[in-house]
Amino acid sequence: MVNRLNSFSRVLAATIALALLGLAGCATVPERPKLRLTGDPIIDGNTYRAAAPVQDRALWDYRIAASALRAGQPDEAKLHLDTALPLIGGILANDADAKKARSLFSAESTKTFIGEPYERVMAYYYRGLLYWRDGQPDNARACYRSGQLIDSDAETTEYKSDFVLLDYLDGLVSAKLAADGSDAFARAQANAKNLKLPAYDPAANVLIFAEYGTGPRKYGGGEYSEQLKFFVKNSAAHGATLNVNGQSVSLPAYDDLNFQATTRGGRVMDYILGGKAVFKRTTNTVGDVALIGSIIAANNGSRDGDRAAVALGAIGLIGKIASAATTPRADIRMWDNLPQRLSFAALRLAPGDYPATLEFQDATGQTLRGLTQTLTLHVDPIDRDTVIFLSELKR
Amino acid sequence: MNTSLRLLALTSVAVPALFLAGCATGVESPSGVPVTEMKADERGFVSGTGVESQDLVTVTDKMARGVLAIPEIANAKQTPRIVLEPVVNETRFPISKDIFLTRIRTQLNEKALGRVRFLDREMMKTLERERDLKRNGQVTASADPSVVEFRGADYFLTGKLQGLTTKTSKGTSDYILYSFRLTDARTSEIIWESSSEIKKQGLEDAAYR
Repeated sequence: MVNRLNSFSRVLAATIALALLGLAGCATVPERPKLRLTGDPIIDGNTYRAAAPVQDRALWDYRIAASALRAGQPDEAKLHLDTALPLIGGILANDADAKKARSLFSAESTKTFIGEPYERVMAYYYRGLLYWRDGQPDNARACYRSGQLIDSDAETTEYKSDFVLLDYLDGLVSAKLAADGSDAFARAQANAKNLKLPAYDPAANVLIFAEYGTGPRKYGGGEYSEQLKFFVKNSAAHGATLNVNGQSVSLPAYDDLNFQATTRGGRVMDYILGGKAVFKRTTNTVGDVALIGSIIAANNGSRDGDRAAVALGAIGLIGKIASAATTPRADIRMWDNLPQRLSFAALRLAPGDYPATLEFQDATGQTLRGLTQTLTLHVDPIDRDTVIFLSELKR
Repeated sequence: MNTSLRLLALTSVAVPALFLAGCATGVESPSGVPVTEMKADERGFVSGTGVESQDLVTVTDKMARGVLAIPEIANAKQTPRIVLEPVVNETRFPISKDIFLTRIRTQLNEKALGRVRFLDREMMKTLERERDLKRNGQVTASADPSVVEFRGADYFLTGKLQGLTTKTSKGTSDYILYSFRLTDARTSEIIWESSSEIKKQGLEDAAYR
């Protein structure tokens, strides 16, 4: 009896040791190098990007691009968007990281980051305005079309391809290229609902892209953080006005990223994560039941009871370890410097420099004094549109 | 060995196997894939449904052959002068637009053996500055710089890319129509037009849907 129990103990110990070894193997994480930060979002973003795992690079490209646009460094923004966009624009199939992210024992965040649809749309939106700035409005239109396609797989029909500006700008490019932009305009107006969109002026040579407010934040909900959720806060700035050359140009919020992030509906990946959560919960319950059974059997005092205790103990152990190793956590890596609201206006200005003020208004239309910006608009003396990017955000 | 011992022995194998499976799932090519040199008309292992190098090669080869076969070019008494106009992109894919015309031009220059000439309008500003320097006597001239020698175009070659996209839960499908035309600069007649069409489809990994 003693010998047999010793054998049981040895096998049980070996099982635990091997399981721990397995866990240790999974848990090995390379030490992170210490980063030297400067406080400049572009320099620091590039530093983080260089140190980031390969699958996080697009995330840093997005963040740096937004910061670069706000800092007036379009070439830097272009560089990063051009690195990220082929990843978004391609078909990510047979991807080892994605396969891993779907497996029970790896987190979703092991996959290559390309972002949720509203994040991918914004990458195209920003690249579009940079193409337009470079005198390539047709490539800008291509970006708006790709963006709207990305937004087309929302669960509810009402929310599919419902970015107002993507269609509006698509139509404006067509109108400027002497093509028909009326279909795109009609789609944009339908999505804008009660907001009346300005009619196209193909001769408008100054294009104002404005953004304000702080965009959505991701977090994990559910018992195991397996549900991708969004924290949305209604930002103070609900509208903006640009005062230039005696004109007061209204910049209302045509698109709201909080709305876009929260109206997409479920993802295919949510079902996979839900399945992982069920597995984690079930194996944990099986482990609990088996371990309790093991204790009861051990207290029985008979030889059969001892055997049953060891067997149930082993099952309980497997259940608990499998449960602990299952990672249903949703991927909450996020493009964290996105705005909440997007606006646009087109106007005619002769080449030259114009002093201007940009004011932001709250929900009641009152000017938010602390946010007013004074700036100089430079209108190019060349035969192409001048694109001006205005943001309430600093980084 | 009794049942309990067998169960434990099985457990001792199953548990590590389970963890090894958990760790190893999806790890393909852990050392990466070395750089592979490919032909421009080959489909690589990195691909999307948009415009790719193999499409560029296929389309521009066809267009260059087409231009050379036009009677106005093949039987011209005087060498025709062609100006390239930027391609218009109406697809959903941002592209480097000049690359199509650059390849058609190089293909024609290689194969036409002087039967057509292209006018370098991209260089006009530089050329005009040089001519002015010559006119002002600031640099030497091998011919009278006051005589206009910049040639006018006989034909304009341009193209358009148009696309149709379908996206459903079963995947994304993109059809792109590449059309090019040669227009007579004097009469505005389209003397040649040709098109090429490519359709691609794919479905992303569930982790991205």
